[in-house]
Amino acid sequence: MAAVAAAKVQEVREITRIERIGAHSHIRGLGLDDSLEPRNVSQGMVGQLMARRAAGVVLEMIKDGKIAGRAILLAGQPGTGKTAIAMGMAQALGLDTPFTSMAGSEIYSLEMGKTEALTQAIRKSIGVRIKEETEIIEGEVVEIQVDRPATGVGAKVGKLTLKTTEMETIYDLGNKMIDSLMKEKVQAGDVITIDKATGKINRLGRSFTRARDYDATGSQTRFVQCPEGELQKRKEVVHTVTLHEVDVINSRTHGFLALFSGDTGEIKSEVRDQINAKVAEWREEGKAEIVPGVLFIDEVHMLDIECFSFLNRALENEMAPVVIMATNRGITRIRGTTYKSPHGIPIDLLDRMIIVPTSPYQEKDLKEILKIRCEEEDCEMADDALTVLTRIALETSLRYAIQLITTASLVSRKRKSTEVNIDDVKRVYSLFLDENRSSQFLKEYQDEFMFNELEEQAMEVA
Amino acid sequence: MKNLAVNKDYAMNDEQKTLKYLEEVEAKAEEILMDRQEIVALDKRRNDDRMGERALRNQKFDKTWMAVGPLLIKMSTNSAQELLAKDQRECDVEINKIRSDLRVKVNQLRDLEHTQSVPGLMLNPMSREEMLAVNQVLGKSL
Repeated sequence: MAAVAAAKVQEVREITRIERIGAHSHIRGLGLDDSLEPRNVSQGMVGQLMARRAAGVVLEMIKDGKIAGRAILLAGQPGTGKTAIAMGMAQALGLDTPFTSMAGSEIYSLEMGKTEALTQAIRKSIGVRIKEETEIIEGEVVEIQVDRPATGVGAKVGKLTLKTTEMETIYDLGNKMIDSLMKEKVQAGDVITIDKATGKINRLGRSFTRARDYDATGSQTRFVQCPEGELQKRKEVVHTVTLHEVDVINSRTHGFLALFSGDTGEIKSEVRDQINAKVAEWREEGKAEIVPGVLFIDEVHMLDIECFSFLNRALENEMAPVVIMATNRGITRIRGTTYKSPHGIPIDLLDRMIIVPTSPYQEKDLKEILKIRCEEEDCEMADDALTVLTRIALETSLRYAIQLITTASLVSRKRKSTEVNIDDVKRVYSLFLDENRSSQFLKEYQDEFMFNELEEQAMEVA
Repeated sequence: MKNLAVNKDYAMNDEQKTLKYLEEVEAKAEEILMDRQEIVALDKRRNDDRMGERALRNQKFDKTWMAVGPLLIKMSTNSAQELLAKDQRECDVEINKIRSDLRVKVNQLRDLEHTQSVPGLMLNPMSREEMLAVNQVLGKSL
């Protein structure tokens, strides 16, 4: 029962992931076995064995809470699975560990300062685990009996008989309790819980044994099992909230904005200090645990020198998350300076990081990835077509080949075939240019385009 | 030949080790199940005490018959009520004790089974006021 519920939760989570990063929707984890050895093809991951093993080791350390406040850099050429590895780590971390994903350039587009955006991202990646404990009475109503005074005024008295599979007991009811039972329309056969502290009554549903009481039941009627065990139970629920969520609630002037959580603009530093103090107090009292999560910054070379020095300092904070960064740059200019540095990251920050390299995929890995993507995009592909596509991926890029899958499947559908064959792939290959052929074309016909300046250097992105 | 004997010895050792391990796990699990049963029994007694006390309060005689184990004793209503109240308190204390121990035992069992301990199990609970504030974060309004 619990396993089924857990599976459902997992599903919901995956859907949100799919919407955000479609290119990596096939990733379900890192694809490691119990001894952290990477399987060649598993959980949507293919090849890249060294990097995955390294990521697996890091993951175990994160789970043990050992490397909070450190940074990991995934470095490699474009299209070598850096984002895929980060997504895999996020999936493998499970529900309880906060994972925030952002692109380096995101910090420039928001309506807030760069450091504010970074602080929020960092605080989104730190969870606080707390426990809620309630004493409840849970049972199936056997009988409910209310005596009203004949005059119609005055106190009502009543009796409520509750049972579980193990026991049965009678409660005497006061006026207030009777009113709330009436309000909830509780009747014999209902399974209810009563909160001991507040007296709040909650109807869980009707008992299965009473399923045949009436011929017609409303669609909203829920049937549940008669509760087991003791009547008076202690319910313990563990919640994990992120520091950012707590910040947001406390920076609001009134509660109605709760519908639009998230976009709150800047949060005052006093609010953060208060929250930090409160959380520290809770930890002292044994009421809360800090769950350092993971902050993933893609395209980290887009950050500028200010952000890097901010990160440098933020990592030293005792409540820092694990920061995973990914970059595809070689030695390049650090944004905001004229200095060059490996990966476009200052040397002092690089020194703090564990660097995990990713290497270009081999031909057979490419084939596997393309096969997985075909499945993911509901596209059947003939073997020879897949071979041709692998060839294309090897010569151009993996991303281009993946894009050809969908387009080729559309072309094949046009000729009313369910399977993509070699001609479809050839056709889309001629229809859509890859990066190489496009620049080739531009070089040839340079003169016929507008504003061409031959002496212009290659694009400077940083 | 000697080699084989050594191997056999190893196998014996392994077998015993496995058996011992399984025994440990089963014993711990049994203990937890027993505790669950104990809580149910105590809660039953607590509820019976409560019902008895309520019945005594609603009747008018100042002496009552009460069954104490196999004996049927006639005693004053007041002392009977006191007896029941005391028993109820004892039940409360006992249940709370078992529940706290249960948390430790569950984690021990999970440790034996090489699974991770339940996250947050050993935390102290939030107070009601704190929970009201946190519920706002969780998107529940109480």
